Amino acid sequence: MTEDTRTSKQPTLQINLGGLVMKNPVTVGSGTFAYGEEYHQYFDVSRLGAVTVKSLSLEPRPGNKPPRLVETPAGMLNAIGLQNVGLDAYLREKMPFLRAHGCTIIGNIYGHNPEEYAELARRLEAEGGADAIEANLSCPNVHDAKNARGCQLVAQDPALVRRYTETIRNATGLPLFVKLSPNVIDIAESALAAEAGGANAVSLVNTLTGMGIDPETRRPMLSNIVGGLSGPAIRPVAVKLVWDAARAIQIPIIGMGGICNASDAMQFILAGATAVAVGSYTFRQPDAAIRVIDGLEDYCARHHVERITQLVGGMQL
Amino acid sequence: MPRIEDCEVHLNQEVAEDHYRMVVHAPGIAGEARAGQFCMIEVQEGLYPFLRRPMSFERIYPDSLSILYKVEGKGTRMMSRFSPGQTISIQGPLGKPFPLDPHHDRHILVAGGIGVAPFPALAEAIIGTLGRTPEVILAARSENHLLCEDEFHEMGCTVHLATDDGSAGDKAFASEVLRRLNPGPGAMVYCCGPMVMMKATQRVCSDLGLPCLASLEAEMACGDGVCLGCVVPTVTDREAGSSVRVCHDGPVFDAGLIDWDGV
Ligand SMILES: Cc1cc2nc3c(=O)[nH]c(=O)nc-3n(C[C@H](O)[C@H](O)[C@H](O)COP(=O)(O)OP(=O)(O)OC[C@H]3O[C@@H](n4cnc5c(N)ncnc54)[C@H](O)[C@@H]3O)c2cc1C
Ligand SMILES: Cc1cc2nc3c(=O)[nH]c(=O)nc-3n(C[C@H](O)[C@H](O)[C@H](O)COP(=O)(O)O)c2cc1C
Ligand code: FES
Repeated sequence: MTEDTRTSKQPTLQINLGGLVMKNPVTVGSGTFAYGEEYHQYFDVSRLGAVTVKSLSLEPRPGNKPPRLVETPAGMLNAIGLQNVGLDAYLREKMPFLRAHGCTIIGNIYGHNPEEYAELARRLEAEGGADAIEANLSCPNVHDAKNARGCQLVAQDPALVRRYTETIRNATGLPLFVKLSPNVIDIAESALAAEAGGANAVSLVNTLTGMGIDPETRRPMLSNIVGGLSGPAIRPVAVKLVWDAARAIQIPIIGMGGICNASDAMQFILAGATAVAVGSYTFRQPDAAIRVIDGLEDYCARHHVERITQLVGGMQL
Repeated sequence: MPRIEDCEVHLNQEVAEDHYRMVVHAPGIAGEARAGQFCMIEVQEGLYPFLRRPMSFERIYPDSLSILYKVEGKGTRMMSRFSPGQTISIQGPLGKPFPLDPHHDRHILVAGGIGVAPFPALAEAIIGTLGRTPEVILAARSENHLLCEDEFHEMGCTVHLATDDGSAGDKAFASEVLRRLNPGPGAMVYCCGPMVMMKATQRVCSDLGLPCLASLEAEMACGDGVCLGCVVPTVTDREAGSSVRVCHDGPVFDAGLIDWDGV
């Protein structure tokens, strides 16, 4: 088959995500793929539209005490506490691998205040550590967030979302994505705040807060007591939040929450997501994101759709 | 390199109450697996249980693997219903194997309950690679929970039995049996079992000035060092909260490295 006939038949999966060109709309959830190296043992990670790295902070973080994980029906609760190697070690030891393999990198960042986020974004841009920035304003597992209870997130206050976004916006010319929390009354308000602050896209959703109690010991199942729920259990909630946000904002959406296969991914796309991320399911099936890419291509071919972007927000009412 | 392999179940038999031995055809994984490493087994195609279950290699054959497991909850119960001929998905080999150090003249394997699971493969490796015959302290709740005794005897190992209720061997904990053996310098201790048992074994080893390797357990999501869910605290740099990943940095650790009070 010549290249020409191939491309004329092959649907185009390429997207432009708020200025970040991706060869397909599939990335991975921050924190479910580390920095790419481990899963490269199972498949070529450069096939992904982008690799989203584990949240990076200026200094390394040790994370929470164990136990940090508990399985739940069709999902899991985690309270990792943003353990990460820190920006310097990332740039020195992790990023070169991703660059050597030609990966598009979404640099997910976490800071204690807007200035730290800005500094992270600035340095990632200056040192070639990322092709886009994803600001995690919504991790439920850190006690040093806004208050000591670990349950109030920046993403839960639209005014803060806007202020944080503006500060990061002023620090970087890279495409800026803001990752929001599902634990809000009105997701449209959060998304509008990110848009007003200058975000180029929003990531929906981070984990839902949850907890588990062992009835025998009467103790919390996680040392942090509360954690974040992910996996297929949250998918219907996440699809609905994407749909709500999509009707309110002009900027694109990266949809995630329980995606296991291409049909799951299509729900997010039809609800209004331009890109999707595969998260926890990768733990079960390391090449899940690749299967989603292949499945989306197949979906487009079956439905005679030339470009995947034609399907964004395409739910038929 | 780890891989995901569709494996045919050859055999899945109850060997003691709630304990099963499963043999699967897994030429890819078996070809690379070494004693102390583990695999992640998909217990069913649906989404609950959501995660794979970590299991050690009891024996490693040229193109198959044997898994010895205890029914603990829903996942292992589903495993107990696998039937011969069925195909299951296994990911592995994962983690670091037991280091085999030729400088020791005595190798003592201390097993508590189902913690014996990785030891038949280890005994075989010590015999095959180091040309030494290990001895085994086999401890369990009661006589009918003592596993693999015959296997160790067949390999020529001396086996010291201990039970909590005295129904077989000494009525003692494994660590007490080890202390009574009072092995001299040059011995190497390997332990696997409940956390309290490994902690006690480490204490005995540190009293006797012996090195001790422990094979740890933790709840796991990825098994590949990615999620950071399976960490245990270490004694190095306690202030900084340093920890190791059981799946990737272990599951076998120098027991002196682990902060047993924080586990
Ligand atoms: C590296 C490693 C190797 C292992 N090798 C073996 C083996 O060879 N044979 C064997 O019988 N078991 C082994 N285990 C333990 C085994 O993985 C658990 O017993 C199993 O995952 C429980 O699953 P379940 O669905 O039956 O239990 P669940 O219904 O999920 O839980 C039942 C109980 O088991 C505990 N549990 C759940 N997951 C784990 C876990 N990963 N480790 C320890 N306890 C857990 C829970 O806290 C709960 O108390 C190993 C664990 C690890 C980490
Ligand atoms: C173990 C684990 C760690 C995570 N760590 C991060 C993180 O560091 N930063 C972040 O923005 N999101 C983090 N997330 C959230 C995921 O990126 C994703 O938003 C969420 O899990 C929903 O997708 P899923 O249901 O497909 O997993 C983490 C999720 C899990 C399960
Ligand atoms: S189980 Fe994921 S890091 Fe160990």
